[in-house]
Amino acid sequence: MPALILTLLKLIFVALLFLFVWQISRAITSHISIGVTRTSTKRSKELVLIRADDRPGETYKVVDVLMLGRSPQADIVVDDPYASEFHMRFVGGDEGLVLHDLGSTNGTYVNGRRVTAPQVLVKGDAVQVGKTVLEVR
Amino acid sequence: MTRSAEAAFLLGASALASFGVAMANLAGGGGVDAQVALTFLVFLIAFGSLHLALRQWAPRASFYLLPLVAIITAVGLTMIYRLDPDRAGLQRWWLLIAAALAVGLLFAVRSTGLEPLRRYRYLLLLGSLVLLLLPLLPTDWSIPLRGKTVNGSRLWVEFIAGPIGIQFQPGEIAKLLLVVFLASYLAERHTVLASGTRTIGRLRLVEPRQLVPVLVAWTASFGVLVYQRDLGASLLLFAVFLTLLYMATGRAAYPIIGTGMFFVGAFFAWQAFSHVERRVIAWLRPFSDFDGAGYQIAQGLFAMGSGSLAGSGVGLGRPELIPFAQTDFLFAAIGEELGLAGAVVVLCAFALLTAVGFGIALRSRDLFRKLLAAGLTFVLGLQTFLIIGGVVRVLPLTGITLPFMSYGGSSLVSNMVLIAVLARLSHEEPT
Repeated sequence: MPALILTLLKLIFVALLFLFVWQISRAITSHISIGVTRTSTKRSKELVLIRADDRPGETYKVVDVLMLGRSPQADIVVDDPYASEFHMRFVGGDEGLVLHDLGSTNGTYVNGRRVTAPQVLVKGDAVQVGKTVLEVR
Repeated sequence: MTRSAEAAFLLGASALASFGVAMANLAGGGGVDAQVALTFLVFLIAFGSLHLALRQWAPRASFYLLPLVAIITAVGLTMIYRLDPDRAGLQRWWLLIAAALAVGLLFAVRSTGLEPLRRYRYLLLLGSLVLLLLPLLPTDWSIPLRGKTVNGSRLWVEFIAGPIGIQFQPGEIAKLLLVVFLASYLAERHTVLASGTRTIGRLRLVEPRQLVPVLVAWTASFGVLVYQRDLGASLLLFAVFLTLLYMATGRAAYPIIGTGMFFVGAFFAWQAFSHVERRVIAWLRPFSDFDGAGYQIAQGLFAMGSGSLAGSGVGLGRPELIPFAQTDFLFAAIGEELGLAGAVVVLCAFALLTAVGFGIALRSRDLFRKLLAAGLTFVLGLQTFLIIGGVVRVLPLTGITLPFMSYGGSSLVSNMVLIAVLARLSHEEPT
């Protein structure tokens, strides 16, 4: 087999490898950027920051509903004896970020005041469940 | 990207594998023969069945895992075939077995999800320890399951069924079970391990009793080093443990203390064991003992150097001069015959695979799944880093296999199962 053909084949092989990996990385990029545009069109969601001792600085983005509680099925699991299994939820809708207490035993506090009805949150509000404090950003 | 696009990529990777085999044939003066068709067929069956299993039992799984694994395996099999066609034939069988086991796993967890892995964690830990200790079985007793020493490392178990002896490294599977155990254990205990308020500056200290698990892991890793003489597995074990502990607690004190303990252990090992000392000298000064300890690394460097930018072409270099080119030094063989270009594309594929794995970890819905995905990805990435780092002389050579590339059934099987778990984890992401 002439060396020229083998060299050509080798170059084609490596080029195809690059094409393959390039196409996959393109697909991954578009996958990620679809996520970005989708989050930016729904403007209702806000960031929430946990200040609990065990996981300081963890942030959550409220897309539509975010459940907080002690149950492993909750979106934000808090390991706190004062929290109920399904304690409360954040709902991101047209009117902004709304907090619903789900009849928890020990209550949910916004800026130190116990929540009795669904409450619209604004930036800077501190939400307290047991020892866990979350801040709306 | 869709499932159908994934299928197209898998078809492409199968074609590239047979293209590679055909090139090796042509360079050796042969032609397009049954080996080419067989390679294509085996890739199609192995990855096709995995693809169908995902369609059936994990339809929301990531699309990117399988194509990346397929292209890495394709390049690996091309190089193994070029170095030793008989072993490539065996590796094809292993690929089928690995795919079958991965499909089997996806089927087994189709309705339960990965919840049983969390629940039976102590059983998995026990299984992992048994597997880790299995190679220490006597080599010459009557039971047809015996330990085996290969190249000075006690990592192998030989199962003898009549005339056939099947060899495998149970440690490869033990590694996965250990990650599952740690993810499950730490997901539950992370608050206890993260509590404590004493600080030095901004660094929060850990309580003395919280160091007990670190000490246990350190002792276990050192035990592997002493009794099985396996530098790589020992390092991997300790690094995985520290990383998961750090990811679960977010306390920088653990990796800092762990790194300190690592250097203490490394120093003792270097003083006490000749095989560790040999590795370090071969790493720092491979040419000072060219005919002895440094020979393999030196030949690897020559190979990659002569490969230059575009490589010599598959079948046209002399990678067979490197000892253990099919296993430890496959990356050097790629560097010689496909050049820097081929080596870089392989690195890119591994980097993307690791990124996809960590992406799955970030999007997972609870701490157990996050730690599991991150831990498995870390195992994959660290193995790649350790062996490629060893070959290009960034690190001492550890003799870990290059995932999906090196010749070896146990490694292929365990890494394919790892990918199946990652796929299932990505299927269980909240939408």
